[in-house]
Amino acid sequence: MSDPAVGQQVPDRWTAAVMSWRIKYLLAALSVFVLPLIFNDTYWRTNLTICAINVLLALGLDFILGYTGQLNLGHSAFYGLGAYVSTLLIVKLGVPFWVAFVAGIGFAGLAGMLLSLFAVRLRGHYLAIASLGFAVIVYQILLNWISLTQGPLGIYGIAPPPAVVIAGSVVADFRNLTAFFYLVSGFTFLVYLLLNQLVRSPVGETLTAIREDEISAASLGINCAAWKVFAFVVGSAVAGSAGCFYASFVGTLVPDAFYVTEAFNVLAMVIVGGMGTLIGPVFGAIFLTLLPEVLRGIGDLRLVVYGAALTFVVLFMPGGLIQAAHLVREKLRPGGPVS
Amino acid sequence: MTVTIVLQQAINGVVLGSLYVLVALGLTLIYGVLVQINFAHADFVTLGAFAAYFFMHLVGASYILSIGVAFLVGAILGWMINASIFTPLRRKGNELLPLIATIGVSVMMQNLMLAWFGPIPYAFETQYSNQVIRFAGIFVSWQNVIIIIVSSLTIALLYAFMKFTFLGKALRAVSQDHETAGLMGINQNQLIMLTFVIASALAGMAGAMLAPVLVLTPFAGTSVIVKAFAIVIIGGFGNVEGTILAGLIVGLIESYTTQFLDPGLIDIVVFALLLLMLAVRPTGLISERREENV
Amino acid sequence: MFPGEDKEMITAFRALFLGLAAISLLTVGQTVRAQDKTIKIGALFPISGPGSYFGAQDKQGVELALEQLNKTGVNGYKFAIQYEDSSCAPLPATQAAKRLIEQFKPDVIIGEECSDATLAVMPIVEQAKVPLLNAGSSSIKVTQPGNPWTFRIMPNEVMQGVNLAENAYKRLNARTAALLFENTNAGIGNAQVFKENFTKLGGKVLAEIGFGRDINDFTAIATRVAGLGKIDVIPTYTLEGQGLKITQALAQAGITKGGGGGAIQIGTIWLPFGFEQKAGKAALGYIRIVQFDPTDTRDVVKNFIAAFKAKYNAEPTHLNAHAYDQIMLIADVVKRGGKDAQSIRDGLAATKSFSGVTGSVDFDKTNQNTKMDTVHYMETKPDMSWTSLKWN
Repeated sequence: MSDPAVGQQVPDRWTAAVMSWRIKYLLAALSVFVLPLIFNDTYWRTNLTICAINVLLALGLDFILGYTGQLNLGHSAFYGLGAYVSTLLIVKLGVPFWVAFVAGIGFAGLAGMLLSLFAVRLRGHYLAIASLGFAVIVYQILLNWISLTQGPLGIYGIAPPPAVVIAGSVVADFRNLTAFFYLVSGFTFLVYLLLNQLVRSPVGETLTAIREDEISAASLGINCAAWKVFAFVVGSAVAGSAGCFYASFVGTLVPDAFYVTEAFNVLAMVIVGGMGTLIGPVFGAIFLTLLPEVLRGIGDLRLVVYGAALTFVVLFMPGGLIQAAHLVREKLRPGGPVS
Repeated sequence: MTVTIVLQQAINGVVLGSLYVLVALGLTLIYGVLVQINFAHADFVTLGAFAAYFFMHLVGASYILSIGVAFLVGAILGWMINASIFTPLRRKGNELLPLIATIGVSVMMQNLMLAWFGPIPYAFETQYSNQVIRFAGIFVSWQNVIIIIVSSLTIALLYAFMKFTFLGKALRAVSQDHETAGLMGINQNQLIMLTFVIASALAGMAGAMLAPVLVLTPFAGTSVIVKAFAIVIIGGFGNVEGTILAGLIVGLIESYTTQFLDPGLIDIVVFALLLLMLAVRPTGLISERREENV
Repeated sequence: MFPGEDKEMITAFRALFLGLAAISLLTVGQTVRAQDKTIKIGALFPISGPGSYFGAQDKQGVELALEQLNKTGVNGYKFAIQYEDSSCAPLPATQAAKRLIEQFKPDVIIGEECSDATLAVMPIVEQAKVPLLNAGSSSIKVTQPGNPWTFRIMPNEVMQGVNLAENAYKRLNARTAALLFENTNAGIGNAQVFKENFTKLGGKVLAEIGFGRDINDFTAIATRVAGLGKIDVIPTYTLEGQGLKITQALAQAGITKGGGGGAIQIGTIWLPFGFEQKAGKAALGYIRIVQFDPTDTRDVVKNFIAAFKAKYNAEPTHLNAHAYDQIMLIADVVKRGGKDAQSIRDGLAATKSFSGVTGSVDFDKTNQNTKMDTVHYMETKPDMSWTSLKWN
């Protein structure tokens, strides 16, 4: 990038860059908006909403894992905490929905901070098992503390967010699946934008430095521990928000939805999508949410195919879908591949 | 009365511990040499149990022979997984990818077993299942005694192998310091393959040993795997003595938590202990490894 | 990080878009075209995961019934079925239900097995105005609110628990109990009901021990029970796999009759015929509620057992029997004039004297079948045979 000479502007390149940035996001927003209009039955709209929730989870985990290299196997714990804290506040204490929503996110973020502070010295597989242990403990608490959480007996009839009423008329009724989808995907979009800004700012460079080589980063004066905790808090808070949406969407809450295997599912989404990129996990989440649904037709063997897909992606395309897209683009580039 | 109960639960705990150690040993071996976690390890155990079951029922062979068959099945599985997943991925240098790949393998295996064997539990009875030894108000079933004996024998054999044979020493060298071992002329790839095969064979054998005790469905392995991971960490990754000690401790925790608290709290206690260990002594109860940046 | 990642976003979005469009075209095009004179039955069963234990057996019962019915049809109608995998959990169950309703458009739905899944599905079928016929979930919440679109032929946890506690106290003279239950909706629910009613009658519950589905060895639990002092009955709520281990462990510890002690294991629901052969001596004296009594002398039961054995070469369990009854009840409603969702719903509600292999059916105003002859008591005799106690 050439430095503009004093008094000289480089309007075209700069404006072009900004314009294309805006257009990209506009296109994305448009495609998301159009989706429930194409898929106009409740089954597919439900799938789309679940995709959006999983995208939230994947983004959160990717921020922790892909951007600071912390191997977090316990993401399901924050998901569950967000869901239960917000739901219990609403159901037991009558707290208004959006207040409970913020509380759920806050609690999940707090839990993430505690785990992270505890584990900040641990590396690699130790952190992995510590986070797994944390997820098991959270699950068992949700399961066994029946007087608080109802445990396996479950909480039923959880209401969707209250309708948005402006000047006496209902603008959005979230019992309508399309409205709910727009709510979740809108929120997800905002989270994506926020994370994208973070990643492209000096913060992102700091995090990358920590991920690549912590010792060198420390020698540059970076407080690695603080940044790692920061990433964990953000990632777990995002997971908490997914939990809040999950509860009010499904309407039923049982601890089994947050068993540790959920953490593995999210991990798969991040890896299959492309760890360390922000757009990768979005596609990974969508792909791995829809794949089992699309495979329903083949009956009993669909989970076998799911497992096989996961294994093969890891073996042959470890950069995930993003790497695949990149390869395809290289092949299709007019004038041959650029070295 | 209370003394008898405490004693009884101690014995129950040792039995449970032996059960977990049998499963966890393979994991420790793999981690020690490969620095990798094989998430499909539990499913090797399950498959070993089924292999033993069908061998016994279809061929009409004896229990001991079917344990041998399970051992072989485990060995073959280990060879396959190492060759197809760990070896190719090792060149890529990412420590996370093989873990994910094994998660995929685990899902595949569980659902294949579900498709082949069905979800209804198989009752694996041997002549030892229902016979009970009683003394001084304490009881142990013969099956559980056998578990303790076989577990101890396996541990003793493994221990001797590690300490006294050349291969065993080579394994320990590789697990302590990859690079130097390579410099000493030890062929790492072959050694890693051997370790994997042995560890998976152990898993298969464990499955056959445990089949009479487990509720035998395709998901049997998952019921023990998470505790097995905890044991491997508490004992010290890659350390056989630590695994044994940790396994026994976890077994005792399980029986005493059942007695004085509630079976539902077992996992919480075990994992709280795990987190405590990680906070206070991350290298585990007994550690041989030189740990970097732990 | 890959260079030019932003460009990938557009390419990938295009690809995703096309992909989703393709998928929607492929799958939406698969809606079943309804023939005239066909009653469409949707089935929500757990087919994958650990709950597939139920789904596999349900399917057997359903297939047998359909085979028999479709030979001649009923009132000129044939029956078509579509299975969807509800995985015994709320979210997959709601997804499966929506898919079923959108694409197959059934006149009636049977399922699910697990209470949480059934409860999650109920609002959906109510909104779609399709009747749901359940024979597997014991939670009282399925019928207590009085949902007009949900019917249950199986006795719920309250019916069973009250009856069991009474029989334990009065017929077995039990005054102390130790509860053993799996940590699921059904396990906890049933145990709670028993405890309430047993203590109301004057009995004492000395311990309530809940355990997870991942417990394989019950020696520790048996030891704890042994240390409680004199126990008269041990209500046990679990599935057959763990149930077998519990019975053996209790016998090994010398607590139950099978091990030389005095306690009687009582329980409900999930132990199929054939349990004794696996448990051996340990099962001696076990008294339990089953929802299918193979020693029942009614013709409909004998014919069912014969037909089931002929088709599958195995003894039917209560899961097979329930599924069979669900289909047969629907056929009975069709015979009485049901032909679409609304008329089938009304026909079900009006059922007064249907005789199924699991017992008779008479729905009360909350659409719960209240006939107590669906609650059969069996006791294991010294020769490992199963005799019906005829307490109802």
